[in-house]
Amino acid sequence: MSGILCPLQAEAASDRLVIYSGRKEKAIKPVADAFAKQTGITVDLKTGKTSGLANEIRMEKAHPRGDLFISTESGIMEMLVKEGLLNPYQSAATKAVPDDFKSATGAWTGISGRARVILYNKNLVPEKDAPRSVLELADPKWKGKLAIAGTRERTSLAWAATLVAVKGEAFTKEYMARLEANGLKVLTDNTEVWQGVGRGEFAIGLTNSPNYYLAKKMGLPVGVIYPDQEAGGLGTPINPNAAAVIKGAGTPEAARKFIDFLLSPEGQRILVGQDYEIPLIPEADPGEVLPVKSIKRPAVGAQRLADLEEPTLKLLTAINPNW
Amino acid sequence: MAQAGSIALAGRAPEPASGRLAQAGTIALLAGVGLLILPPLLYLASSAMQAGTLGALSIGSLAGLALTTLALAGLATMWAMALALPLAWLVVRTDMPFRNACRWLAVIPLAIPSYIGAMAYIAFLGPVGSVNTWLSSLTGSHQQWLNIYGFWGGVFVLGLFTYPYIFLLVSAALEATNPSVEETARSLGESPLGVLRRVTLPMLRPSILAGGLLAFLYALSDFGSLSLLRVQVFTTAIYHQLNTRFDQAAAAMLSFVLVLITLAVLLSQRALMSRRSYVTITGTARVARPLPLGRWRWPAAALAGGILSLSVFIPLGVLLAQTGSLEQFTDVLREQWAFIRNSLALAGAAATLAMIIGFLIAFSAKRAKGPVGAAISGTIQIGYAIPGTVLGLSLILLYNTYLPWLYGTVGILVLAYLIRFLTQSVQGIDAALAGINPHLEEAARSLAASPATVLRRILAPLVRPTLFAVWTLVFISAMKELDATLLLRPAGFDTLPVRVYIHTVEAEYAKAGALALLLIAFTALPWLVVMRLREKKLV
Repeated sequence: MSGILCPLQAEAASDRLVIYSGRKEKAIKPVADAFAKQTGITVDLKTGKTSGLANEIRMEKAHPRGDLFISTESGIMEMLVKEGLLNPYQSAATKAVPDDFKSATGAWTGISGRARVILYNKNLVPEKDAPRSVLELADPKWKGKLAIAGTRERTSLAWAATLVAVKGEAFTKEYMARLEANGLKVLTDNTEVWQGVGRGEFAIGLTNSPNYYLAKKMGLPVGVIYPDQEAGGLGTPINPNAAAVIKGAGTPEAARKFIDFLLSPEGQRILVGQDYEIPLIPEADPGEVLPVKSIKRPAVGAQRLADLEEPTLKLLTAINPNW
Repeated sequence: MAQAGSIALAGRAPEPASGRLAQAGTIALLAGVGLLILPPLLYLASSAMQAGTLGALSIGSLAGLALTTLALAGLATMWAMALALPLAWLVVRTDMPFRNACRWLAVIPLAIPSYIGAMAYIAFLGPVGSVNTWLSSLTGSHQQWLNIYGFWGGVFVLGLFTYPYIFLLVSAALEATNPSVEETARSLGESPLGVLRRVTLPMLRPSILAGGLLAFLYALSDFGSLSLLRVQVFTTAIYHQLNTRFDQAAAAMLSFVLVLITLAVLLSQRALMSRRSYVTITGTARVARPLPLGRWRWPAAALAGGILSLSVFIPLGVLLAQTGSLEQFTDVLREQWAFIRNSLALAGAAATLAMIIGFLIAFSAKRAKGPVGAAISGTIQIGYAIPGTVLGLSLILLYNTYLPWLYGTVGILVLAYLIRFLTQSVQGIDAALAGINPHLEEAARSLAASPATVLRRILAPLVRPTLFAVWTLVFISAMKELDATLLLRPAGFDTLPVRVYIHTVEAEYAKAGALALLLIAFTALPWLVVMRLREKKLV
């Protein structure tokens, strides 16, 4: 029973940083361990789903429990900004992050990114036939072979909202209706998508770039396409994982230090090396993955994207409630 | 349920002074329970009322959701009964081979959280699971033979992992009921089937209904396995509204409707229970002479083996295959020992509290009789039906605002477990008390025994097997709890299910498999110990 009281006692200590992390523990814990070793600050992690933790932060408004929030997507950060739950922070380190990967007011900053990609099963789709554009997926030849995660995965929502921002609502609506007619399977999460494609349940899935590397590491027969990269093409969105100081944090100094550490060469090396993410700082070593500057992405600001989420959601659920 | 045991006696002695003291205690206890469970409920109701609208939900979709949810829970409960009743009867009352081993194995599914069961069955019967792959390679055709996803998969999995609720209560009741009634019926020329239908089953009614209710409520509030199996029910819809739509009003409305459905279920169960009452003649629990099955011995064993294969051997086999080497297993054990300790301490504390409070409540409710007792045990049952996610969020809001010193500690987890699982303890003890002839109590009381003495000397010894059973039930439920724990755990204080969840989400299946096996082992162990002690008549 003495172990059970530890959190009680630890709460009294001031040099304890509480991180609410929607990012995988596998990716964040090594960084947190390195940070703890370097600074002597104890780090307690609460790992969960980004949206669930964001809800918790909203609920805990009266007595915030977390110091730092790490999300897997920027739309949620913008929502928290609107509700006044984040504490802006800007430093030399955050300045190095490209503008479209951070809040205009400094409320949050991107720490790494994931590109939207087309994942295909090599046994079912020869490399030369793999679609090069997301728009090709509406072609009847892919009928019944497509999968995507619903908006429970907010990166799917961000992808659709980007399409609305770039091509307009009418175009997106028609495109999504064609995907629906093509038997697009809307799944619960990205894990189902990449595993389903890997196991041959689906020939093609729309998902995030790290999942390709994960599937490959597991020995699944998958190939990847970064879509719409040709000259004049749409480009493919890169969703930032983001970090922010929670307003009312008990140890805001430690939280700020942690953000700087995440963006330092050492922090980026550990973070990006763990989970095949794309470093957002142009100078950082991308390792195995494609560097950010080699991926063509549509220029849509995070705030605009966040504003488009609601209408996009309506548009999608009108077509298929599973979205 | 309290009514079943409360046959009014004429010429009742007036309450002694100590009775009034006991009454004050009862009232204090009931008030405490009310304070524990009602605030989150009221919060839920007020949020739903505030919303006033269904938001993005239509009446049609709500009705569809209600229909699917009820059908799923009903079919899962029937499936669970179909598994539990023959098994319990064969194990307790017949000379079936391996019946002792079966009795031990039959409770193991309780230690397998349904989300882990679903995980294992997806790997086994999923579209690209072992069975489909094997059938395809055998026939050379790539058609999908079996599909665990969807409504029927949900029914199948939930029944498999909830039947022990019924099995436990029914087999305990079979042991506690006086076999002489059945023997008399048999000696009077009633056929074995007739004895079963006309004597045994009616005597077991309270236990069957109590166990069935637990299974039904579990199915109503289950989130983990149904979301994995892609079934659209209330809980998954609530989660969706809450966590992707950020629509708290719609979530509260859905939760409120779910609670109302639960309430309706509880009321109808109460009506069913009060229609007839059965009381055993004496308090002795004599062991029945096993019924010889003759040439049906081995077919019976095969049936039991089939049930246990589906609910124990297959899921455990899949997890073992996932885990890989023994070395990996011990590595995980070393690495995650702190979390194992967290889980054990938490579940132990919750189970002990639930057992003590549950006994006091069941006892008080029995004494309070009528609407008060019914309201109390009804309130406690509703706690079980609030989905973990919703309960977690409402506790955050309530306790972080009004009792911030409690929130953020493990105390809030114990509280959440009590709210969710207290009913398991109250129900079980209630059912056991219902089987005790009130004459025993009345006789003691007429000999001037105080209520405390009656409680200690008469009731406690008679329900002791049930006390151990409910402690274990709550311990197991608390060990497995995921939804509320995910939200309420203090940062840095993970439990085993949380670890399984994190590793599953992060696609580290070897670790998830190893931890799931550990969770199952640590959950099953106390139960097996208790059963062993009972066998040796040590408890």
